[in-house]
Amino acid sequence: MLLTALVFIPLMGALLLAFFPKERVDAIRRFALAVSLIPTVLVVLIWRQMDFSQPGMQLITQAPWIPSLGIQYKLGVDGISFPLIAVSALVLPLSVLASYTITHRVKEFFLWMLVLQTAIYGVFTALDYFLFFIFFEASLVPMYFIIGIWGGPRKEYASLKFFIYTLLGSAIMLVGILALYLGSGLRTFDVMVLAEQANLSPTLQWWIFLAFFAGFAVKVPIFPFHTWLPDAHVEAPTGGSMILAGILLKTGTYGLFRFMLPTFPDAAQAFSPVLAVLGVIGIIYGALAAMAQTDLKKMVAYSSISHMGYVVLGAAAMTPMALNGAMFVNISHGLISPLLFFVVASVIYDRTHTRMMDQMSGLYTQIPVASRIMAFAAFANLGLPGMAGFPGEFFTFVGSFPVFTGLVVLAAALGLVTTAGYHLWMMQRVLMGQPRGEALPDISPRELVVAAPLMVFIVLLGILPGIALRFFNEPIAVLAARLGGM
Amino acid sequence: MPVDGSLGLILPEIVLAVAGMVVLAAGLTWRRSRLPGILAILGIAASAAALASRVWGQTAEIWSGTVMVDGYANLFKAIFLAVAALTVLVSMDYVHRNRLPAGEFYLLLLLATVGMMFMTGSLNLLTVYVGLECLSLASYSLAGMLRKSPRSTEAALKYILIGAISSGIVLFGMSLLFGVAGSTHLRDIAAALNSNPAMAPVLVAGMMFLIAGFGVKMAAVPFHMWAPDVYDGSPAPVAAFLITASEAAAFGAALRIFMVGLPALQAEWTAVFIVLAVISMTVGNISAILQTSIRRMLAYSAVAQAGYIMVGLAVASERAVSAMLYYIIAYAFMTIGAFAVVILLGRHYPSEEIKDFRGLGQRAPLFALTLTILLLSFIGIPPTAGFFGKFYLIQAAVAADLAWLAVVMMINSIISIPYYWGVVRTMYLTEAEDKAPLAAPASLRWAAVIGVLGVLVLGVFPDAFVQLVNAVQVVPVLLSAAF
Repeated sequence: MLLTALVFIPLMGALLLAFFPKERVDAIRRFALAVSLIPTVLVVLIWRQMDFSQPGMQLITQAPWIPSLGIQYKLGVDGISFPLIAVSALVLPLSVLASYTITHRVKEFFLWMLVLQTAIYGVFTALDYFLFFIFFEASLVPMYFIIGIWGGPRKEYASLKFFIYTLLGSAIMLVGILALYLGSGLRTFDVMVLAEQANLSPTLQWWIFLAFFAGFAVKVPIFPFHTWLPDAHVEAPTGGSMILAGILLKTGTYGLFRFMLPTFPDAAQAFSPVLAVLGVIGIIYGALAAMAQTDLKKMVAYSSISHMGYVVLGAAAMTPMALNGAMFVNISHGLISPLLFFVVASVIYDRTHTRMMDQMSGLYTQIPVASRIMAFAAFANLGLPGMAGFPGEFFTFVGSFPVFTGLVVLAAALGLVTTAGYHLWMMQRVLMGQPRGEALPDISPRELVVAAPLMVFIVLLGILPGIALRFFNEPIAVLAARLGGM
Repeated sequence: MPVDGSLGLILPEIVLAVAGMVVLAAGLTWRRSRLPGILAILGIAASAAALASRVWGQTAEIWSGTVMVDGYANLFKAIFLAVAALTVLVSMDYVHRNRLPAGEFYLLLLLATVGMMFMTGSLNLLTVYVGLECLSLASYSLAGMLRKSPRSTEAALKYILIGAISSGIVLFGMSLLFGVAGSTHLRDIAAALNSNPAMAPVLVAGMMFLIAGFGVKMAAVPFHMWAPDVYDGSPAPVAAFLITASEAAAFGAALRIFMVGLPALQAEWTAVFIVLAVISMTVGNISAILQTSIRRMLAYSAVAQAGYIMVGLAVASERAVSAMLYYIIAYAFMTIGAFAVVILLGRHYPSEEIKDFRGLGQRAPLFALTLTILLLSFIGIPPTAGFFGKFYLIQAAVAADLAWLAVVMMINSIISIPYYWGVVRTMYLTEAEDKAPLAAPASLRWAAVIGVLGVLVLGVFPDAFVQLVNAVQVVPVLLSAAF
C-alpha cells in the first residue's frame, strides 16, 4: 500500500491541481510543493519498514491486471531501488521549490512536474516489465513539455532531440521486452520471474540485451548516445535540469542494475569490455568537453556525462566493490548535480543574467554566500574526500582495477585530473578576480532552503558512506555472485 | 431452419430503417431543428436495444441461407451501431452550422449502417453485395453533402467513379465464384472447390477480383488513391464514419468470404494480403509525414492503419482474427475521438491545417489532452488500446512464423511517431496569436471524452474485450460440421 501511495499520490495531486484557477499562482505553487512532500514522508515510513540485511524485494504489492497476458500490477523495493527512491524524494520537492521562479503558464508547469513524479517513483518500483515500460515512457512526455515550453532559446530543438532519442531508444527496448516475453515462453512480464527462469538461447539473449541497451544507454547516457544531453540540460528550466541530471539519468543506470545484469548475465559478461571502454570514453570525453565550455550550465551537463561514465565502468567490472561504487556514484551524483545545476542556472543566472564564464568574475566578493555554495558544489563534484563525490569514485576505481587495469589507469590519469582541472579553472574565472557591474543581492532564504538539504546529505555521505552502502550491500553481493565476478 | 420468428432476427435492421424514415420526415417538417439528430440517436438506441434483447447470443441462418445471425455478425452490428451513434453525436453541431439537410443526412447515415449490417451478416455473396451497394450509394451521397463546397463535390465524384468501378470488380469476382460453384453461398463455393480442385485457377481469378474490390473499401494501397481526397473533402463526420465503419465492414465481409468460402486457397490469399499489408502501412505512413492538412494526414494514417489491421487477414489464424476485431473496435474509438477535435477546429479554421492547432493546449485544454492520448494510441504507446491492438497482431504474427511481418509493423510504428507527435507539438509548444478559449458544443465534448474513455478502458482492461472477441467465430460452427 505504501508503494502504491508513493507512486500515485503525485498523480492525484496533478488531477486536483487541474481544478485550480490559473490566476492563483501562489496557491498552485504551494499545493504542488505540499503534494511533492508527501512522498518524502512516505519514503521515511518505507525506510522504517525495510530490512536491509535482506537482499530480496520487500513491501511487494501485487495484483493481477491483465491475466491473459500475464501482466500484473507489481511494485516492490529492495536495496538497489530504495536509495534512488530516497534521492528522488529529496530532489523532487526541492526542484518544485526551485521552480517558484516560473511565471509563464504556471499551472501547466506544476501539473507536469507532478505527473513526472508519478512516473519516476513508478520506474523505480515497478516489478513488471509492462508496468515499468509505461512509467518509463510516461517520464518522457512531461519532461518533453517542461523543456519544450519553459526552456531556453533553443527549447524546440532541444526538446525534440531529447524526445526522438529517448523515444527511439525505448521503442527498441519495447521490442526487446516483447521478444523476452515471447521468447521465454513463460507467459509473464514479471521482472523477478524472468530474471530467474527465462531460459533463452544465447543468440536471443544477445539480441534482447542489445535492445535493452539501446533503451538504457540513451537515458544514462552512454557515449556515443549522449548528444541529446547537453542540449536538453542547457535548455531545460532549472527545476527540469535538476530532475534530469539528478534522477532521470539514474533511470538508465537503474535499468542496468535491475534488468540487464540480472536477466542476461551471460550476454552482460560478454559485453562488459565494450561497456567498460564506453564508460571510460564517457569519463574522459565528458571531462575534456566540460573543460572546453564557456557556458557554465553546459559545463555541468558535460560533467554529468563524465560522472555517469563511472557508473557504467563499475557496472561493467562486475566485482562487488565496483558495483557498490557504481551504485554510490548514482546516489552522490543524484545529490550533487541538482545542487550544481540549481546554483549555476538559478542562483547565479538570476543575478548576473548570463551563464558565460567570460562575462563573470569576482562573484565571491559580490555574492559571498552563493559563491561559497557554488564552490562547495564544485568541490563535491570533483570528488574531494569528505564529500559524497569521493567514496563512489574511489570504490569504482579500486573495484575495477583488477578487471580492467589499463582502462582504470587511463581513466584515473586523464579523467580525474581533468575533472579537478575544469572545476578549479571555472572557480578561478567565475568566483575570483575583480567584480564587475553594480552590487548584486545575495542568496534568498528560499534558495537557501533548496540548497541546504542537498549540502547536508553531501557532507553526511562523504563522511559516513556506510549509511548508503548499508542499503545496497546485500543485493549487490547477490548480483555479483550471479554474475560470477569476485 | 424455423421460418416463423425469423423476422425477429433482423429486427435491429428493420428498426434502423424505419427510424431513418422517421428522421427524414422530421427533417422535412422542421428544417432548422436539431430534432432529426436526436431522433437518429433514439433510433440507433432502439436498434441496439433490439439487438441486445432479441438477437444477441442467437445463431441461425434464415431465408434460404441469405441472412446469417451469429456472434460474429452481432459483434459487427454492435460496432456499427456504436460508430453510427458517435457519428451522429459529432454531426449534430456540424450539420446545423453548415446548413446540411438534416433529414437526408441522418437518413443516409442510418441506411449506410443497415447496409453494413447486412454485409457482415450473411454467408451469401448476393446479400453481401446488396449490403455493400446500400452502404456505397449512401456514402457517395454523404460525401457530396456540402453542396456549395467544390472539395466536397470533387470528393463525391471521385468516390462514385472509383466506387462504381470497384463494385463492378467485386461483382465480376463473385460471378466467377458463382460460375464454379453454381451457388452464391460461401458454403457451396468451399464445397465445390473441395470436390473439384481443378477449378482452382478460376477461383483464384475470382479471389483476386474480390481482393481488389474490397481493397478499395479498405483503402489499402494500391487501391487507396480515392481515400485522401474523399476523407479530406467530404463533411468531417462523414469522413470519420467512412474511415471507421465502412472500413470495418469491408474487413468484416472479407474475413467471412475468404475464411468460409475460400479456405482451400488460404495460401494464395494470405500471400496477397501480406503484400498489401506491408505496402499499405509503409506507403500510408511515409505519405502521412508529408501532409500539412490534418484531415489528409488522418487519411493517410487511415491507409497505414488499414495495413496494420490487414495483418490479421494475412496471418488468418484464430488468434489473428480476434486481434483484428480488437483493433477494429479500438480504431473506431480513436478515429471518432480524433475527428471530434478536428471538427472543433474546423468550426474556427475552415482550412483544417495542422498549424491551426497552435496553442490548443491553452485554448481548449480538454480537447488537446484528448487528442494527445488518442495520438499516443495511434502510435501504439501503452497503456492505450492502440498498443494492445498492435501487440495482439504482433503476437499472432510471431506465432504464425511471420516474425518479419511483426518487425515491419514495429518499424512502421516508429516511422509514424513524427507525424502523430507533430500535432501534439503544435498544440502545446507553439502559441497562438489569439489566446481566447475555443467555444465547444457539448456534443463534441461528449464525443471526444467517449473516444478517449474507450481507448483507455480498452487499453487498461483489454481482457474483457479479448474474451468478447475470442468468443466470436468467423467460420460458424454449424457450418464446419457440414464439411
